[in-house]
Amino acid sequence: MTAWLVRRLAAAIAIVFAVVTITFVLIHLAPGTPFGADEQHQQDPEVIARLVRQFGLDQPLPVQYVLYLRNLLRGELGQSFSQHRPVADAIADTIPPTLTLAGAALVVDFAIGLALGVYQAVRARRFGDVVLGNVALFFHSLPTFWLGLVLLLVFGQWLHVFPVGGMRDPVLCPSVTSARCLGDVLWHLALPALTLGLVGAAGTARYQRAAMLEVVGQDYVRTARAKGLRERRVLLVHALRNALLPFITLIGLAFPFLLTGAVLVETVFAWPGMGRLSVGAIFQRDYPLVTGAALVASGVVVLGSVLADVLYAVADPRIRASGGST
Amino acid sequence: MTVWTWLALAGAVALALVAAAELRRHAAARAAGRRFLRHPTASLGVFILAFFVTLALAAPLVAPYDPARQLDPVHLQNQPPSLRFLLGTDVYSRDVWSRLVYGARLSLGIGTMAMLVAVTVGAGVGAVAGYFRHWLDAVLMRGVDVGLAVPRIFVLLMAVALWERLPLVALVLLIGFTGWFVTSRLVRAEVLSLREREFVAAARAVGAGPTRVIFRHVLPNAAAPIIVSAALGIGNVILLEAGLSFLGIGVPSPLPSWGSMIHDGWQWIVAAPWTSGFPGLAIAFVVMALNAVGDGLRDALDPRKEGT
Repeated sequence: MTAWLVRRLAAAIAIVFAVVTITFVLIHLAPGTPFGADEQHQQDPEVIARLVRQFGLDQPLPVQYVLYLRNLLRGELGQSFSQHRPVADAIADTIPPTLTLAGAALVVDFAIGLALGVYQAVRARRFGDVVLGNVALFFHSLPTFWLGLVLLLVFGQWLHVFPVGGMRDPVLCPSVTSARCLGDVLWHLALPALTLGLVGAAGTARYQRAAMLEVVGQDYVRTARAKGLRERRVLLVHALRNALLPFITLIGLAFPFLLTGAVLVETVFAWPGMGRLSVGAIFQRDYPLVTGAALVASGVVVLGSVLADVLYAVADPRIRASGGST
Repeated sequence: MTVWTWLALAGAVALALVAAAELRRHAAARAAGRRFLRHPTASLGVFILAFFVTLALAAPLVAPYDPARQLDPVHLQNQPPSLRFLLGTDVYSRDVWSRLVYGARLSLGIGTMAMLVAVTVGAGVGAVAGYFRHWLDAVLMRGVDVGLAVPRIFVLLMAVALWERLPLVALVLLIGFTGWFVTSRLVRAEVLSLREREFVAAARAVGAGPTRVIFRHVLPNAAAPIIVSAALGIGNVILLEAGLSFLGIGVPSPLPSWGSMIHDGWQWIVAAPWTSGFPGLAIAFVVMALNAVGDGLRDALDPRKEGT
């Protein structure tokens, strides 16, 4: 188990390293520099030359790459061009909002998805299952950003139930200091979390229904029924326990989905998270910030899949016994 | 909207109905077809797809206006849906229905082409990795690991934003080349088991080279997972293209793709919800149809996994 985990982590580090390298090469191959003059902004050529020298962009690409890696080993991600501060700080500021949003979305996702999937499995192929299955399929097919727009229009503009964007009230609550301001953040959080959560829940429900159906047909469930246990206990305690195993895989899969969704949903709701930061950095050709964001994003995805494997091994003795097959 | 437009629209519905009915008739004759039809939404999915494909093909007949023409920027901005403008007009006084119809060409076209690229690359890499195994397999699959580790929208954003105005072909290729990783894993797994079978050994014994064995004997037998992942993949590509266009960097204006229409209407969503609303619904219905058909195909071609 330990040897397997070490190998798995080494592979994860290699993957993140490869991602960083590819990102680095890709953005430096792109035409233009971040300080180039365009139609609107006339720049003094001397200023541009000085900036290029200051950030080391006049060096050959391999030299820049080696320098970047050396700094990376020391834990430094470089200076952001556009924000005039270290990349690590810029990213660190956006991680709590993104984590908050992703966490809340996961709660919505799993709560609704689990309940729906179990209900559908119990009523498999009957009216309720078919109707809910199609509703779930519809939500699963929605563009997340469009669902966000619709929710924003209905609940923000027409009904005035929720705010139309941002993470907190800038006047009343510049930072989370009191219970009222915590409430304010939650109030702002509701719509974006619901948007990501609902689309995710539709996929989760499909997964959970399949897993539950597979378990319900097994012998030990029949034994539990034969013992005279109540149906509710058979389903929710005996069957659900094993039907939850594939759920762990979903946790690992949820990371890329939430990150992708965050890029668009954060843009719609003006949520100050990593997605919006990355989009801004890409448009402003902020090389160090883009590379840093790619590093963090791929790191999260890879760690998510390792975490899922570990949880799987912990939860399922059959996998632990074989020492992890993958 | 003239009489002709209405007639053409009715024709599109009729054609889609006929196509769906015809497919039902063919499918009901075979066991796999009956498994396909047993899926609750697959037939409806076929109808929706046939309808939108007809719209895309017959766009000049069904669309009353030029999709890029600004009819009257002063008086006809953000008009609500009416008999004259079936789905209203957008802020540039363009007819939303006409743009939706022409947008079907772009959105469905990009989805299909990009998926073809992705499936071709995925099947090729998967087959080579699974057939030759050893170091080639190791190298290719580590590459796939890396590809899967980066959120796809991130790579696309980077490529598209940094190169600015990309031609459509490049956009299609980019989406395709970032979407083959999962397919290649599926195909590799299938090929790994197929290559040990007798008929492959027989083909090799007759003297067939690796190219012939892979293309004539192995890949045709791995068709089921490839087809299913292609059907499900088109929907993903349509969503992805919509997301990129929504951020303003996918399909260049004034070309109408459903994503860029949502982008155009976003700022005016309070005054004119129809400009962003209808293209979003169109995406939802088409992607839902593709997902339903993909599920049905999986039930039909791969009975072991039925009901999931």
